[in-house]
Amino acid sequence: MACRRGGNHKHCLSTTSPSISNCHKLPSCSSRTHNICMVSDFFYPNMGGVESHIYQLSQCLIERGHKVIIITHAYEDRKGIRYLTNGLKVYYLPLRVMYNQSTATTLFHSMPLLRYIFVRERVTIVHAHSSFSAMAHDALFHAKTMQLRTVFTDHSLFGFADVSSVLTNKLLTVSLCDTNHIICVSYTSKENTVLRATLDPKIVSVIPNAVDPTDFTPDPSRRDNSTITIVVVSRLVYRKGIDLLSGIIPDLCQKYPNLHFIVGGEGPKRIVLEEVRERYQLHDRVRLLGALEHQDVRNVLVQGHIFLNTSLTEAFCMAIVEAASCGLQVVSTKVGGIPEVLPDNLIILCDPSVKSLCNGLEKAISHLKSGSLLSPEIIHSQVKTFYTWRNVAERTEKVYDRVAGEIVLPMGKRLDRLISHCGPVTGCIFALLSVISFLFLMFLRWLTPDYLIDAAIDATGPYGAWTQQYFRKKRETLNSNS
Amino acid sequence: MADEEGYLAVSGERITLQRRHHSASCREFLVRCPRLQLRSLSAVTCSVWLVAYGLFVLCQNSVVLSAAIFVTLIGLLVYLHFVKIDQESLLIVGSLGIQMTSSYASGKESTTFIEMNKVKDVVINEAIYMQKVIYYLCILLQDPVEPHVVSEVVPLFQSSKPRLDCLVEVYKSCQEILEQNKKS
Repeated sequence: MACRRGGNHKHCLSTTSPSISNCHKLPSCSSRTHNICMVSDFFYPNMGGVESHIYQLSQCLIERGHKVIIITHAYEDRKGIRYLTNGLKVYYLPLRVMYNQSTATTLFHSMPLLRYIFVRERVTIVHAHSSFSAMAHDALFHAKTMQLRTVFTDHSLFGFADVSSVLTNKLLTVSLCDTNHIICVSYTSKENTVLRATLDPKIVSVIPNAVDPTDFTPDPSRRDNSTITIVVVSRLVYRKGIDLLSGIIPDLCQKYPNLHFIVGGEGPKRIVLEEVRERYQLHDRVRLLGALEHQDVRNVLVQGHIFLNTSLTEAFCMAIVEAASCGLQVVSTKVGGIPEVLPDNLIILCDPSVKSLCNGLEKAISHLKSGSLLSPEIIHSQVKTFYTWRNVAERTEKVYDRVAGEIVLPMGKRLDRLISHCGPVTGCIFALLSVISFLFLMFLRWLTPDYLIDAAIDATGPYGAWTQQYFRKKRETLNSNS
Repeated sequence: MADEEGYLAVSGERITLQRRHHSASCREFLVRCPRLQLRSLSAVTCSVWLVAYGLFVLCQNSVVLSAAIFVTLIGLLVYLHFVKIDQESLLIVGSLGIQMTSSYASGKESTTFIEMNKVKDVVINEAIYMQKVIYYLCILLQDPVEPHVVSEVVPLFQSSKPRLDCLVEVYKSCQEILEQNKKS
């Protein structure tokens, strides 16, 4: 099997290289292409940071010549197999959703389907996303049993004190102790993950998120310059510090008569803001927009002068990068990975308290009034270069290249690692579970041997139906031009 | 003119594909599944009877034994008449339409016919089936009101489930005929 795969690589390189030498615009194919399988419970049509991260990263990896598929669970009537832009193949598996769009896990029931997909798509690297996703952990577990390389991306920060954190941290320790490589979105997140899962920091890389700068362009004409507008776009939940916001609004509105607030987003804390608006009679100055579609976010952002972020915990704040990309002055709390996101001249950092945030906002307002703020275009052109998906894909590719050279722990060593690394009780339980999963895999291999599984026709990658078309089209246009 | 080739089904069973070229625009494909094996029949019968005998020893009631005999007989009849399909055929006539026939082990046949003006295309699709992801051949029917919309998908060879190599053969032949039809 291994040698056949090796042969494939050589062959595919020889077929793709002439087309690459013909077109200059295409990014050069790396020395080696991978068959990557992204697994997460969170994907479109669900909306959020993880979802767009997976989508954008996959698109850029396809552009770089890799084969990428995505596995997620079914969303209502969206089940089966779908193709997205550029032949990105998505499997919506019919698994039961338990809580918050995360599937139930018994560790075994998803194995037959996942194994079937890994075999038919000839996956070499399994890349799981988000520690909240049960499916991602399941897939990691099965992939390790099947001797595939594994990569995990952590998108969130966790505490250490409460019961739920203790349990998830334990689960994460077990799940990550034999994973080949882990990616975090910021250095704070790396520190957090290393501590939570007691990992060797050497196998943890930091690759930040990115924004699409063409989606978030400034438009100063949309601003109303007779007033000062502060924009807040976030889910209205406790973690995002909406209680702080409800303290800031009346204070500042009293001080500055021409100050307006626009709040975009929906959530359980909306009622707090509505109460504040009611009590201080601020209906004309505080606008609550409710849930926003992703494409509307830019239109809301460009209406403001100052962007306020009140998060209490944040691994990497996409919202402030988006706002800065639209040319707004950002005022934010100094928590989690936020201080490493933007340079000091673009952001005003405050402690997570009403007083400190008010001081920060007043500073921003005085800057604005004196006209010493940078112009939106300058801010945009600066931010544009910081975080791009192409750069993220390039760095992720390096992780894949490194992982492809590593060995997957064989069963015996894996058991040793589990028992020595995860504590006597949990370690033994999970060692037993991994033995069971190994036996289950043997059983499945006996039931449907690998040679009976049809290899899927590649949509992307060196042999991909879509990519070859793309190459051909590019070549034709180039030929006709010259 | 007919040629026959052996293929594998998704489950690993051996199936045969027979192609008959009646004329340039009329072709027939027969997919034959293996017949009911005496081995599996006797295995099922033996296990049912052994269980019944075990129950009989426990509760000393001979009704159990006679019930077991009836269950096996009726079960076998139902299986042969409604479940077990021996042969599935697809007859495609360029100017007329597509006819699908499935013959049950008991000799019963069920036939469906689709007119050519309703057929939008014949394609190979992927689906999640049980704990597998399989390829299957299907006919896309077009909506009578809006010709660009697919109103229904009719899967072919549902019981034999041939693997991709077999499906590709049938698909290519079908496409040839559909192409001819479009040109004329």
